[in-house]
Amino acid sequence: MATREEAKINGARTETLITISNNTTAGIRGSPDDFGRATAKLAVAQLCEATGFHSVKDSALESFADIVIRYLIDFGKTAEFHANLAGRSQCNVFDINRAWEDLEAPRGFSNGMREIMNYAESMPETPLAQPIPNFPVIRERRNIPSFVQMGETPPSKHIPPWLPALPDPHTYIHTPVWDERVSDPREDKIEQARQRRKAERSLLSLQKRLLLCNNNRNPNRNGSTETTTTIPSNSAIGDVNEDADVNMNVSPVVLPAKLSVIDGDRVSVLEAFAPAIEMLGNGGLCDEGFEGEKMVLPAVTERPTVHFKFRTGKKFIRESLDDRNRKKALHAISLVGREDERDDKKRRAEYILRQSMENPQELTLL
Amino acid sequence: MNQNQPQSSSSEGRTDDDSALSDFLASLIDYTPTIPDELVEHYLAKSGFQCPDVRLTRLVAVATQKFVAEIAGDALQHSKARQASIPKDKRDRQQKDKRLVLTMEDLSKALREYGVNLRHQEYFADSPSTGMDPATRDE
Repeated sequence: MATREEAKINGARTETLITISNNTTAGIRGSPDDFGRATAKLAVAQLCEATGFHSVKDSALESFADIVIRYLIDFGKTAEFHANLAGRSQCNVFDINRAWEDLEAPRGFSNGMREIMNYAESMPETPLAQPIPNFPVIRERRNIPSFVQMGETPPSKHIPPWLPALPDPHTYIHTPVWDERVSDPREDKIEQARQRRKAERSLLSLQKRLLLCNNNRNPNRNGSTETTTTIPSNSAIGDVNEDADVNMNVSPVVLPAKLSVIDGDRVSVLEAFAPAIEMLGNGGLCDEGFEGEKMVLPAVTERPTVHFKFRTGKKFIRESLDDRNRKKALHAISLVGREDERDDKKRRAEYILRQSMENPQELTLL
Repeated sequence: MNQNQPQSSSSEGRTDDDSALSDFLASLIDYTPTIPDELVEHYLAKSGFQCPDVRLTRLVAVATQKFVAEIAGDALQHSKARQASIPKDKRDRQQKDKRLVLTMEDLSKALREYGVNLRHQEYFADSPSTGMDPATRDE
């Protein structure tokens, strides 16, 4: 249903053109004939204005333009028909004359071209407001170059050289990409061992902290209640200062212990780092490494172990090796609290951790 | 030219016509019709009309222009007649007289004489006779 809008044709001509172009783009898809239609609407609107109308309804304008286009096509078809009838392919003025008489027949016998001539003389010359380019615009097509143009010879005799060339082989043959890196198995093993040691070290430090937390909590619980509450704030500050140099001593100690483990895959962490852990027994390293966070010790709880944030029970061992997850888990200590839905996971985790603490020999890595 | 007598008058007429036509064609080179040449050429080419002569395309353009002007004139008369027949106040009429709008109704009336049956859907039906054949409607 066409909308009833008035297109003002008195005033700027560009207004009409803009209205027309807006209307054509309001449709869903543009047909290739849109430009011709738009120009026809413009011409028809101009002629209506010349006749005496002040404005034109949009739907009427569209219908009118459509009829004019059909008229043009009909005229050409009839003229061409007469030319073909005379055995020609190109039309001349007589063909047009006959076509005109054919078209004007419903209105009675016409005076021939005289009518047109009279009209032309009576009408003042009013060309179209805007010059339009030559259309339809022919797009330049780039053809595929032939064998001769490419300078190639066709692969077999049956292909003439003026045909388009065959495509390059890389476009249709999959050539494998070789990795240029030289792999040294010995280097690989060393690298692997190094990474394992790194993982072990981080796991060790975690468990160290857990042990120390537990150790600290147990004696502290027996102590005064005042100190219990102040432990989070004071120990965080105090212990860091205290252990600054203890830590420095720790690191060189750690390395030789590690190097003594040559044997590859199965390592008992607690066994290897038992001396290191004992050395650090005095320090309260619980709060270290939390990056300034206040660790809220569940001071009044009876839980001896730390609560990790786990996704599944199976993943526990693997995740405990990962540094990032551990940090997240330690952060989750303050957040987890007493949530009922994680109870069984916690219980499982506690059990496994207790096992690892109590049976250092049975703890295996990787 | 077997029969000179009856043919002579007509042949004179024809030569007059021909000369007039040739003169007209000569004048067409200067005249620029409102319907642009490119548009006419495009639609004539679509229908198979082949002619390298620009005067012939201009001739077709002028013929089409005449067609459009006739229809527009008829529609104008219809709209004027409608405005005259509507019983309205003098004051309103004077103000409205300025606006002559080409509507679908006037256009369809004008085109009916040319054999084009243009029927426009009513936007809303406000009377029982809406949508009926205009010839049977009481006007």
